[in-house]
Order: sequence, then C-alpha cells, then structure tokens
Amino acid sequence: GACRVSMSMTEIRAGFTAIKANIQSRDPIRTLSILSHPHSLHKVKSSDRCCITHQLFTFYVDKVFKHCRTEDSFVNRKISSIANSFLSVRRKLGQCREQNNCVCGEESTEKFKQILANYEGLNVTSAAMKSLGELDILLDWMEKSR
Amino acid sequence: SGELYCSLPNPRNVRFESINMKNVLHWSAPEGTGDGVLYKVKYAVYGVGKWIRKPECRNLNRTWCDLSSETSDYEEQYYASVKAFLNGTCSGWMETTRFNPLTDTKIDPPMVNVSSTDRSISIILTAPEKWKRSPEEESISMIQVYPGLQYNVSVLNKKTKKRWFFSISNNTLVVPWLEPGTAYCVSAQIHVTTPVLDSDFSKEHCITTLKDK
Repeated sequence: GACRVSMSMTEIRAGFTAIKANIQSRDPIRTLSILSHPHSLHKVKSSDRCCITHQLFTFYVDKVFKHCRTEDSFVNRKISSIANSFLSVRRKLGQCREQNNCVCGEESTEKFKQILANYEGLNVTSAAMKSLGELDILLDWMEKSR
Repeated sequence: SGELYCSLPNPRNVRFESINMKNVLHWSAPEGTGDGVLYKVKYAVYGVGKWIRKPECRNLNRTWCDLSSETSDYEEQYYASVKAFLNGTCSGWMETTRFNPLTDTKIDPPMVNVSSTDRSISIILTAPEKWKRSPEEESISMIQVYPGLQYNVSVLNKKTKKRWFFSISNNTLVVPWLEPGTAYCVSAQIHVTTPVLDSDFSKEHCITTLKDK
C-alpha cells in the first residue's frame, strides 16, 4: 500500500522554504537541472515511483547534504534538520520497499542513472548545492503523485 | 550580436507576481530615469539552455509583461530577465530569482454561497480556477492543482458576536442548531497544507435564519 511519510514531508517543505532563496542564489547555472531534465520526474510511471523515491532519498542522504555547508549558521541548521528528516523518511521508505517489494523498473533505473550523470557533470559543491536548490522539484513531484 | 555599450542603470526589483497562476513579470524603472525608457523581456525554463524572447514584450514602455502563457506548465520552473533602453544606450539584463508557479503563486479566496432554514445555514464553497489562455479553454480548478486543498470557514452570530471556525476538505458545510431569525455572517479561506499556501479570507456573506414556524 501507499507509504505514509506525510508528517516529515511538511517539515522538509517548511525547512526548504525558509532557505530556498538563499540556496538557489548560490546556483548560477540556469541551463542545467539535476532532477528535471532532460526527462521530468513527472514522466516516471506510477509503478516505478516507490523505487525511484527511495533511490532519490538515498542520493540526497549519501551524496548531497554532506557537501552543503555554508557560512550562514541559520541555513546550516535548516539543512541539517532537512537531512535528519530525510534520514527518517528513507528508513520508512526502506521498510516500505521490503514490505511492498518495490520493483525497480527499467525506466526508474534509467532516470536515476540520468540524475547521477547530471550530478557528476558538475564539481561536487556546485552539484550538491544545485541538488539542494531543487528540493522543491522533488517535493512537488512527491506531493502530486501521492 | 554587436551589443551597445550599456551604461544605463539596470531595471530594479524584477520579479514574478502570480495569482491563481496568472504569472506576470513586474519591475521598476532604472534609478534616476524618467519617461521614455523602453524595455525588452526574455524568459527561460530552468534546466533548459536557451533564453526565449517574448515578441509582445519588446520596445515596452510599461513595467510589466504577462508571461502566464509561457509559464503555464507548473511542473517546470522559470527565470525571466529585463533590459532597459534610453536615448541610444541600454542597461544590463536583470534576472528574477527561480520562479516555481506551484509554490510561488497566490490563491484567491473561495466563492461563498449561503442559504438558510430556521435553525441551520448551508454553505457551498467554490475554489478559484487556474489562469487560462482563453474562455474557451478547459477550466482547471485549483483543487485539481493542489489535491491537499482545504477550506477554513468562519461563522459569526451577529447578535451574540460568537464565532465558530471549521476546517473542511470537501466544499459544503451545514451548520446546525442555530437560532431562528438571527443574522449570521460567513467568511472562508483556502488552505493548502503542502506547499503551504493560504488565501485571504473572502468578504463576509451574511444571511438571516428564518423565523420560528
């Protein structure tokens, strides 16, 4: 069945909204997106959604947050609170994956490969900051497909 | 292209103002310039390489440009940019921050329809529609855009000044056990839980319950 993680999503959304302008202003590259191009997350089939959601949360936990330190302590606190929420959501998604035998179809595997390629195409700090600045793309997609 | 040397100050405060996803780019004139300044506008989809000019927003002598049509896909995010021209010189391009139509729009209050019996009032709420290119185009309610959309309803007894608040997900509400022959005023607001978006409260709609039979 659906994996209920809504409480943490509201916290993540609130945390991100508080630092969105700050984080996005650190990303000068308008012509590249980590998550939404060339193929939008919204094109992912519903059967693949559970798998790619878990992959994306793992991506953020393992690759993004650790490279997003700033000189602003308020921003840093918000980033670590978002990271903690991600950890708890990923744990739930992991359990959900086992219970629901989340299938990782060809499409979500291909989409996730594209995301990693976009990420590795930039230096790690730029890639991490850009990924963090795109959190609303992930959240919008998750909420729309709930 | 052989761009002019641009010594004009830049346009200021370039930003999107959005209501129900009618997305209009606004800016202020460069500092110290009076009349006669002309502008041109371009926009870009975030993550896609090229800027796109809007022909209708060239040689503009006003400080806004409606980009609703160009930014109507709310699964994308956008930037826009403005350049000023005056007496043969120009400014640099001034860019907006990243615009996300889904989170950066403002929602109008719902329409409120009220009817009454002697001891109850019935309230029907209608969420606003998303901006559309023409009246013929299919209407999309903001409920379809925000599945988590709810209504906050306030009901005021004009005689006792007692007020009740209700939070409902569907668009109808019946308030029972009221006093006959009494005036009640209803106002409602739209509340989206995530992303957090709240409309203003609608203006009050007052109705008097029927006198006792």
